[in-house]
Amino acid sequence: MNVEILERGAFSSALVHLEPGEEFTSESGAMYRASANVDIDVTTRSFGKGGVLGGLKRMLAKESFFLSTYRVNDASPGEVALAPVHVGSVRQIDVVPDTPWICTGGSYLGSGPGLRIDTEFQGLKGLFTGESISFVKVSGSGPLLASAFGRIIEHDVEGELVVDTGHVVAFTEGLDYSISKVGASWIQSWLAGEGIVLRFSGLGKILVQSHNPSEFGGLLGPQLPER
Amino acid sequence: MQYEVLCQPSFSLLEVALEPGEKIVAEAGAMAWMEGPVKTETSTRGGALAGLKRAVLSGESFFQNTYSAEGGPAKLGLAPGSAGDIVPYELQGNELFLERGAYLASTEGVRCDSKWEGLKGLFNEGLFILRVTGQGLLFFNGYGDVQEVQVDGQYTVDNGYAVAWEPSLQYRLTRARKIRSFLFADQLLLSFSGTGRIWVQSRSPVSLANWVYPFRPQKSSD
Repeated sequence: MNVEILERGAFSSALVHLEPGEEFTSESGAMYRASANVDIDVTTRSFGKGGVLGGLKRMLAKESFFLSTYRVNDASPGEVALAPVHVGSVRQIDVVPDTPWICTGGSYLGSGPGLRIDTEFQGLKGLFTGESISFVKVSGSGPLLASAFGRIIEHDVEGELVVDTGHVVAFTEGLDYSISKVGASWIQSWLAGEGIVLRFSGLGKILVQSHNPSEFGGLLGPQLPER
Repeated sequence: MQYEVLCQPSFSLLEVALEPGEKIVAEAGAMAWMEGPVKTETSTRGGALAGLKRAVLSGESFFQNTYSAEGGPAKLGLAPGSAGDIVPYELQGNELFLERGAYLASTEGVRCDSKWEGLKGLFNEGLFILRVTGQGLLFFNGYGDVQEVQVDGQYTVDNGYAVAWEPSLQYRLTRARKIRSFLFADQLLLSFSGTGRIWVQSRSPVSLANWVYPFRPQKSSD
């Protein structure tokens, strides 16, 4: 398997080359083109408890949870191209067994078969904002693809780093994090327009995106007719 | 006619240098700047019916503008509606199919017409696509990166990502194979077969619109 990141200006995507028998998984709907010998199977595989019903519940919570698995069905090589919705970068992270990564729900784009995907824990809720954040834990070994709204800035954490929830792409699991507020009180934090932030501590890596999708949605939404 | 695609690949814009007497036809609204003696003619090109077909059926503009340099050289900047790439394509009496909204500009010998896609178009981008024929240069655009794929046999493209394809390719609408996919995923796929080229965009305006949807204000219940 060979993952090629197509870095073409502001709109990156990933082209995954598969050998016979190999497979790759992505967030469902991320595929935009594929060779004809690639089978696409959409499942709720290893995505939390409760199978389909649990999945439906998450769908109602506005979280896309279906995963597509791509598998070459004959003896020749195949390819699958994956892209996120937004303008921005796609980053390949080579996950190793002793360092699992945690992606925010919207940043997970795809992963190799040696990686396990868990969404057991999710749903941090901002007290005042209603802003929520879901996490996908990726463990094992193999390539993980994360997408960002805009560019990715990488931070090595030694000590403490505070990141707005909307800017988090992914981080190594060894980091401790807690939900926090920016100001002295929750009300001040809310007035400052910073609903909830994540306060990271320990040693590890964080990928931060240059733009916050919710902020963008908040700009566009009010310009549109009511739903 | 000289041209250059500026600011590629993410924010591409077409700049055309016209010698006296040269003309370029563009989608209404595409003109970003003009320099020198440019004469603009707005017409339906091929009559009102052709314009109507183009507008109603293929999602392009009713009117097209023809720009010509009169009495001296001129320059024009032509911009697509979305961020992304522009592809120049030379027609030599052959045809090319374009998806709705992909047409940007062409030289005079190029004709645009609608082509009925049959009912499969209902589930795809539209019932009609644009058929481009003739002789000359065509410029089309896509949202995001535009990738050229050489097909020999079969190839799958997600619904809404194909921008253009050569008529030597046939396509049909399919779904991902497994039953579970049919029930739960809304992924309609275009399955192309034959030998020829497809141009695929790497982002979808429809997906973006779907993403924005939940941010719309909610109707107050009164």
